[in-house]
Amino acid sequence: MVNLTIDGKSVSVPKGTTILEAARQLDIHIPTLCWLEKVSTTGACRICAVEIAGVDRPMTACNTPVKEGIEVTTQSEKLTRTRRQIMELILVNHPLDCPVCDAGGECDLKNTCYDLDVVRQEFRAQDVNPETIDHWPLIQQVPSRCILCEKCVKVCHELVGADALFVNDKGDKAFIDKDVAKCTFCGNCVSACPTGTMISKPFKFKARPWALRKVPAVCTYCPSQCQVDVNVQDNQVYRVTSNDAGTTNNGNLCIGGFFGYGYANSDKRLRAPQVGKDTATWDAALTRVVSDIERIKEESGAAAIAGLASPRLSNEENYLFQKLFRAAIGSNNIDSEARFGAVRALQALNALGLKGASNSLDIIAQADAILVFGADPTAEATAVDWKIQDAVRRGDGKLVLANMRQVHLTPFANCSLNYKPGSEVALANGLARLLVNRELIDEVELQRSVANLDQLKDALAAVNLDQVVAETGLELAALEQAADIIGKAGKVAVIFGGDVIKSAQGVEKSAAIANLAIMSGALGADGGIFPLDEKGNTQGVLDMGVCPESLPGHQAYAAAKVKFEDAWKCYLPDGGLNADEILTGIESGSIRFLYLAATNPQAFPNSSRWMKALDKVEVLVVQDIFPTEITSKATVVLPGSSAFEKSGSFTALDGTVRTFNQAIRPVGESREDWTIFAELYGRLTKAQMSFSRASILEEVKKVTDLYAGATALGDERRTSVKAAYAAADGSLSFQPVAAAAAADGLQLLTGTSASHFGTTSTWAPAPLEVEPEGLIQINSADAEAAGITDGGQLKLTSASGSVTGKAKVTDKVPQGLLFAPTNFVALGIQQLVADGDNQAAVQIAKA
Amino acid sequence: MSQVAFSSWGRQVTDNRQGGDAEVEVAKKKLPVTFDGAKQISAFMGWDGLILFDSNVDVVAMAAEYAKRVQEDYCCAKCSPGKKGTRVMQDTLARIVAGDGEEADLDTIENVGELLQNCKCTLCQTSAIPILDTVKHFRNEYLAYINGNSGQKKAVDYKVKMTAPCQDKCPSHIDIPAYIEAIKNRRYDESLSVIRESMPLPAVCGRVCPHPCETACRRANVDEPINIMVLKRTASDYEWKHNHQPPMQPKAKQKETIGIVGAGPAGLAAAYYLALEGYHCTIYEALPEGFGGGMIAVGIPAYRMPRHLLQRDIDIICEMGVDIVYDTKVGVDISLMELKQKHDAVLLAPGAHKSKPMGVEGEDKGYKGFLAGGIEFLRDAYMGRPTGMGKKVCVVGGGNTAIDCVRVALREGAEESVLLYRRTRKEMPADVWEIDGADEEGVKFEFLVLPKKIIVDENEQVTGVECVRMELGEPDDSGRRRPQPVAGSEFIVECDTLIPAIGQDPELSFITEETGIQITRWNTVVTKYVDLQNAAGRGLNDVMGNPLSRTLITDMDGVFASGDAEIGPLTVVACVGNAHRAAKVIQRYLVEGQAYLTDEDFHEDILSHLGVYDKNEQVSWLDAIGRFNQKEVHGKERASKGNYNEVELGFSDSDAVIEAERCLRCYRVSMIAV
Repeated sequence: MVNLTIDGKSVSVPKGTTILEAARQLDIHIPTLCWLEKVSTTGACRICAVEIAGVDRPMTACNTPVKEGIEVTTQSEKLTRTRRQIMELILVNHPLDCPVCDAGGECDLKNTCYDLDVVRQEFRAQDVNPETIDHWPLIQQVPSRCILCEKCVKVCHELVGADALFVNDKGDKAFIDKDVAKCTFCGNCVSACPTGTMISKPFKFKARPWALRKVPAVCTYCPSQCQVDVNVQDNQVYRVTSNDAGTTNNGNLCIGGFFGYGYANSDKRLRAPQVGKDTATWDAALTRVVSDIERIKEESGAAAIAGLASPRLSNEENYLFQKLFRAAIGSNNIDSEARFGAVRALQALNALGLKGASNSLDIIAQADAILVFGADPTAEATAVDWKIQDAVRRGDGKLVLANMRQVHLTPFANCSLNYKPGSEVALANGLARLLVNRELIDEVELQRSVANLDQLKDALAAVNLDQVVAETGLELAALEQAADIIGKAGKVAVIFGGDVIKSAQGVEKSAAIANLAIMSGALGADGGIFPLDEKGNTQGVLDMGVCPESLPGHQAYAAAKVKFEDAWKCYLPDGGLNADEILTGIESGSIRFLYLAATNPQAFPNSSRWMKALDKVEVLVVQDIFPTEITSKATVVLPGSSAFEKSGSFTALDGTVRTFNQAIRPVGESREDWTIFAELYGRLTKAQMSFSRASILEEVKKVTDLYAGATALGDERRTSVKAAYAAADGSLSFQPVAAAAAADGLQLLTGTSASHFGTTSTWAPAPLEVEPEGLIQINSADAEAAGITDGGQLKLTSASGSVTGKAKVTDKVPQGLLFAPTNFVALGIQQLVADGDNQAAVQIAKA
Repeated sequence: MSQVAFSSWGRQVTDNRQGGDAEVEVAKKKLPVTFDGAKQISAFMGWDGLILFDSNVDVVAMAAEYAKRVQEDYCCAKCSPGKKGTRVMQDTLARIVAGDGEEADLDTIENVGELLQNCKCTLCQTSAIPILDTVKHFRNEYLAYINGNSGQKKAVDYKVKMTAPCQDKCPSHIDIPAYIEAIKNRRYDESLSVIRESMPLPAVCGRVCPHPCETACRRANVDEPINIMVLKRTASDYEWKHNHQPPMQPKAKQKETIGIVGAGPAGLAAAYYLALEGYHCTIYEALPEGFGGGMIAVGIPAYRMPRHLLQRDIDIICEMGVDIVYDTKVGVDISLMELKQKHDAVLLAPGAHKSKPMGVEGEDKGYKGFLAGGIEFLRDAYMGRPTGMGKKVCVVGGGNTAIDCVRVALREGAEESVLLYRRTRKEMPADVWEIDGADEEGVKFEFLVLPKKIIVDENEQVTGVECVRMELGEPDDSGRRRPQPVAGSEFIVECDTLIPAIGQDPELSFITEETGIQITRWNTVVTKYVDLQNAAGRGLNDVMGNPLSRTLITDMDGVFASGDAEIGPLTVVACVGNAHRAAKVIQRYLVEGQAYLTDEDFHEDILSHLGVYDKNEQVSWLDAIGRFNQKEVHGKERASKGNYNEVELGFSDSDAVIEAERCLRCYRVSMIAV
């Protein structure tokens, strides 16, 4: 500890603390303008200068570390004069447009002027401010208002890793410029700007900050679930903000969180129920649903009824949905799109006794080594990307990135393993084998925690490294480097995602990665394994038991059936069909009624097969917020609501549960989704049921052990963090997985885009401005061979169909691989992949 | 009479405007009379004041121009007082010069000058110093402008340059504050790009540079210098550790080609900069493929400079369109005249690879165990050839090569490795950390000994060396005390191997008489220069005693020289700086048919002769965080047989950031009126 005095008061702080931080401990206020806690110091504004006895010049408190015994003075006549005059300099040629400036009411510059009593202007100079920059999408830059604090530049570079913003030109003409091609349109520059320089165009001139009501909420676009404030006026979402202090995301947002809210205000929203093509009253619509259920149940039994819920829905809604089906209808034919991904990861993680990620996301930020395997964290769960950057850019952690494509994190990787499509198992097995070969495993710990270590070692001994090299297309030296990075690190995080879990061999691939995680020591208290699924509440869907094999709390259906029959006072059916089986059932005619709650099969793999099935199913109930091709096929359309219009809780990918409040009322006649399920439940059981959000959660706690051991953070979102995990004795099982043959020929891979979130964001104007349509990424060599140019039309044909779209020629995909986003139903790329898969062999042709 | 009308340089005011002939030492000795051999220097304005040679110079106009250049061309805008204050300064001075000034403006200048003391770095801060000097000492001239009666003044041309003490001292003139600032901002790639503008072998000079820059680091005036070299390594290592592709994009291909003798630091550096300009370069290298790098490869052992990283720097240069023809010794496999025929320009950069004779009895007898020299020993060891080394090795010399020899001898399996040096440890020219490194590895030192005679057995195998004890007498020209033998103190050091390592000479036999190229008596290539003389009439020289401003063209048209063979044996960083200059001159020669120096070149030379660093300057700063040194592998095992693993380990990124934050960013602007 270092001892010093500030304004005569003594304080003792750790070495490396700055004078500013030390002063804050003493509640001594030193004015700042350019200081932003979450980025490195800049020292640009100079108004935090303080005097130190024995040092002739003033030192800036924000970036001067403390020294033993120093005497700091933060207030003196000279300092006050200097600070005031520097403010006057800053204000030379600053426009006097405060009344129309978008930062009016939340301007740090103005606040500091008040604080320092800056009321005069002694200096004058020629106004050489550059013109306002208006040609960037979504963000306007007004250089004349800029104080060049560089907060935006630092946030962009240090936290987002986009490195798009920079200081251009010299002297007083200098301004913040942008390499637009690098911009991710996350809006963090706008949030960080202390003045009205960086302006959100969708928000500009719309409202005064003080007139907005801020509702604490959670962004539900991805499983990071950043904590936000929804800024509301007149039952409309005006903007979404996030405070640095008190949020788990440190105030950082991505394009979805910051700009993606626009869908809620869309005039295309479903506003009233429909029966067939006609608008109907809620009563008529629900009566129709109930009568169809009862009729079909009568004619074919409850097993002819099926439903799919959604990670767009809250925990409470998913819980009610499964209870509606199981207890009120009597069918266990329920599932969700998690079937095509997250369920597979869960199956593999069962061998480790896990129901999802092993530890909290913060573990990633502290890791010494991070293995990202078949994931694009930036697109799938942006907060994971930030945590990784924390570890490898702000800390000295090392990143191994195993991905078929180059992604946003590639430049930060110490080792990039661009493996051949389909070789994930070979790669994971090869790395595990190398950890053993290079004596990088903790034998004692493995003996303790792994139930079948001998089997594991035998299996790894059989791994042929030459074959691994051949199958993955990687050099042995690269594999060895990766093994060394993972094996030599103390704290290891293993992250895997869409490319792995959405593949038809997702279970095997996930299991191979789980094996590797065991060997790497990631399953300790300071490490972790993190499966990513890009949808907002996939973990909640699974926790709530929206799948035929489990009841809420991951309790095996057959085993826990009796317990739930007691709790729910009903009989539960035997068996139950999953999404794949439901599809087959519709095709064979055994499923006659399908309920789609906030889910769009146009984005499911082999979507054309689903679309045909939807034509066939006798009764289709669609509960959604937008009119789609699915709603046009529906017997009954029930307008649900967006996340802004309801309250409830979501479970993040690391098991953190966050509640959120209703920010605006549902549009038109639409209703909160959980009230629809509750009403149907009441009508079907003919019981007077009263559900409230709180009572649902109470019930969940009663029938499951989901939140046992969780800690409530006591914030306004009532965040609850699950207990830290470390593998218990003998709790880990190795699962032998043999490598399947790698894919041959030109392969198409599908996955999420980084600027879109499911299909919902394609109804939001801002993300559409940045990425208006789904482009098919193709390597320049493949494009040239097929005579395709950037922006030209390209036809892809697979075993299950053909799709024509616009080509984006880029070397971010290697030769032999194409990538296309699943977010755009207009592109319809999911028609090309086989059932439950994310990959397909394709032929390409110029179109 | 004094050459100087007025000087405030070094905060010492000398005013001869009303008569008087007080001398100003700096003006007389350090600065040349002309800027470029022809144009007279009439005033010099900079971070430490103003020197006025010609009292007809319009000091007010000069101050206004100085403020304008600082604001418009150099101010980084990254702090408020700098960005805005220098603008106010510029506009206020411009108003006065335009005749729109008022007396209160002089107060504004003084006020802003004071506010500039709060700047983030010294660029704008020091720019206030000469301006305030003019307001103080030339107030009447200002008032004349303000009152509308400024007279006709001498028309002058201004030469302006930004520099920093470290950048000035670095023989390659790397923009050190910029690359350190980039590291501070965790922009390692940007940092490396800045480095590459002046240093195309960053992995090398991030490791083995004697870093003269650190001797001119202003942070030393607070506590200790910044670890400039290791920060360079950090930037360089980041690129390969993250598999980033170097960003350099050579310009469109030119038709002219350049032949370069030697793939050492000078040859490679010249090739790099010429390749960037689109010229095709062919380097002729005597050693086989895999052994490029010249003295870096053969003279610096792998435990100091890992070979894969040296090779990476070389490969990057080759990928820019440079061919290296290995196994080709110019003068043997191809003649210089042939090269001249083949290429539009030729650069001679053969280095200095021949050990100097020691002058000891028996050294010409071909005894077994008496090796040709240090550099030959290192080369053979590196190339895996038989070195002729036995078990007990004595190396004679005190430079880095001698240290490399004793340390390599251990790694080659010597049981005992002894260094013989005629002065004491303190006088050794080798870098202190190299000497300490040898010490830690178990090398024995014999100081104050002079080998006289080689002792051999009946098979002419060396068995020892007879030495005489020395004592230190009066200082010689180099300032080191001259060693003198102590009569009757002869004794024998037993050894089976004796390696002389007292220096190297260039091997220039390939420069035949027909070329007309002159060779100096120190066995370096003579190149043309512009004679810059000081007021005392003495030609200004560089640290090696060469004329200060050389065009690097030899007596043969189209043939240039660079590196150790031009400068005299020095350092990688000196060779690179010299070769960068050569590359620029060669381009001028190819484009304009003339080998000449630009204003920028002259200004750089003048500043380096003047010196930008002042070790006596009082620098006020809180010395909260001391210098951070890189970790290294310790213990004798690091020098075990065959262990050439790197000894020094560099910084972690976060260590580098903390060290970079110590930098005071000592930029400053020099303006010369001619």
